[in-house]
Order: sequence, then structure tokens, then C-alpha cells
Amino acid sequence: METAFILVVTALSTLAAALAARRRARRSLRSAMGRALETIGLGAVFLCVNIGLGFGLILLVRVVTGRFASLYKNDDVTILAVSMLQALVFQWWREPEER
Amino acid sequence: MSARGALRVLGGATVALFVALAFTPLTNLLYRAYVPPATPPEPAAAIVVLGAGVDNGVLTDSSLRRAFGGVALFRQGLAPLLVMLGPGGAGRSEAEVRVRLALDLGVPAGALLPDPRGRTTRDEARVSWEDLAPRGARRILLVTASEHMPRAAALFRRAGFEVVPAAVDDEPGGTSRPQARLDLARNLLRELLARAYNRVAGYL
Repeated sequence: METAFILVVTALSTLAAALAARRRARRSLRSAMGRALETIGLGAVFLCVNIGLGFGLILLVRVVTGRFASLYKNDDVTILAVSMLQALVFQWWREPEER
Repeated sequence: MSARGALRVLGGATVALFVALAFTPLTNLLYRAYVPPATPPEPAAAIVVLGAGVDNGVLTDSSLRRAFGGVALFRQGLAPLLVMLGPGGAGRSEAEVRVRLALDLGVPAGALLPDPRGRTTRDEARVSWEDLAPRGARRILLVTASEHMPRAAALFRRAGFEVVPAAVDDEPGGTSRPQARLDLARNLLRELLARAYNRVAGYL
């Protein structure tokens, strides 16, 4: 039920956005989706790097200081949002400037 | 393939994985493949409730669920001793907060044994053994989340215990809510990584 509800709501908002943006669109939908997938892919790369780096740092702290540091520190869901934010900034940074 | 092309493929795979895990029964199938079916709890010498976190003196949802699970087993008369584990952060330890809760729920003080020393599941197996072996309590009812149970039971068996699993569900394995499915998938992934780490380190 929740699955259908979410899919219907997002389908409706997507339809509304598509109708509103149709006349102002400056690139094809295919190209836009390709760029969106690039950003998501970049977010996945940032997420893997962040998690890997987090594990490495925690293990390093354990080895160097002999003190306990929990690997679960790396398990917070906000790391996903921050990784996507990194990807967005990085993606816009490497795009050519708009005139 | 160009870097842009590779990122698009990775992005597409990420979206496909997200949709499959949240909106299809894939996560439920993975759960059923990894977590053995629950069996009815049997009498034991002690009930051991594993830690799951405390934040400024407030038990996390998972910790509370496990603590209630332990108290319920005790109230059913399945063991005479209830061991509450869980380290401290700022303020009281998880074990102390749980003991307070168990007392409020009618468990006698003499039947409660808090131990805040364990910071990992392996640690908890070790300190439980130090607490219970001198009392001759080797057969235990182990209370933890169902996804955590396979690894926890293996570590406790390795410490010397005879383990009777008594799992509590953080997320129901048959859930159809997208967010619950994603939480379940994250828990399963975390367990698979933890299991791999324990194997590489020689703990399992």
C-alpha cells in the first residue's frame, strides 16, 4: 500500500513538473536523465569512499591509540545525504559556466 | 568507456538497486536467506541481552526492544538470571538503564546482572563468559536482533556457551514498507560486513 502510494504521488509530481517545464526546457529529457545518473553515480562513489575512509580511520585510531572506537560510527544514514551533496557540488563545479 | 559513461552506468545501477530494495520483495528474500527461522525459546541457566546503544541515558529503539524481550523471557520463567549488557557513553551505561527498567517491570534485583564492559559483540561474549562460567551457567538464552543473531550466536558458542537463540525483530522480515525494507537491507549489509571483518580477523 505504501509502495503504491509513494509511486502514485511521485508520478503525479513528475507529470506536473514535466508539463510546467516543457516549454522552458533547454536540453532533451534523455540528456537530463543522463546527467542525473552521472550525479547519482558520483554520489555512490563518494559514499563508498566516505565509508571506506571511515573504516580506515577508525581502525587506525584503534591500532595507534589502543583505544576503542566503534565501527558503527560509520553507520549513520546522514553519510548518504552528505555524499549526495558532495556529488552535486562536484558535478556543478565541473560543468561549464552558463552564459 | 569514458568516465562520464561509467558514472552513468553506476548511477543507473544505484537507482535500480534502490528501487529493487525498497519497492520489491528482494530485501525480504535476502532476509529469509540470511536469518534462520525463529524457534520457540527453551529453558536455560541465564538470559543474556546484548547491547544496542544508549544516547544520553535514553535507550535506543533496538536496545529497548531487546531489553523487553529479555524481561519477557524472564517473566515466562525460562531462566533465573537476567544479564543486561551495554556500555556507557555520557551518563549512565546502557546496562544500568536497562536494569532500572527491568526493576520497574518487576524483575527482582537479585536476578539481575548488569555488565557495561562489552563494547563489541565479541567483547560481550567474553565478559558474559567471565560473569557466568563461575556460576556454572553455560546454557544461555541469547537475546539480540534477528539479523545480528547468526554472528552473535557464533561468537558466544566460540566463547564456550551453549546458545539458545531468542531473537527480537528490529524490522519485521516480511515488511512491505519501503523505508522498513531499506532499514532491513542496511542492517543485513552491516551484518555481512561485520561477519566478513570477524572472519578476516580470525574471531569466527
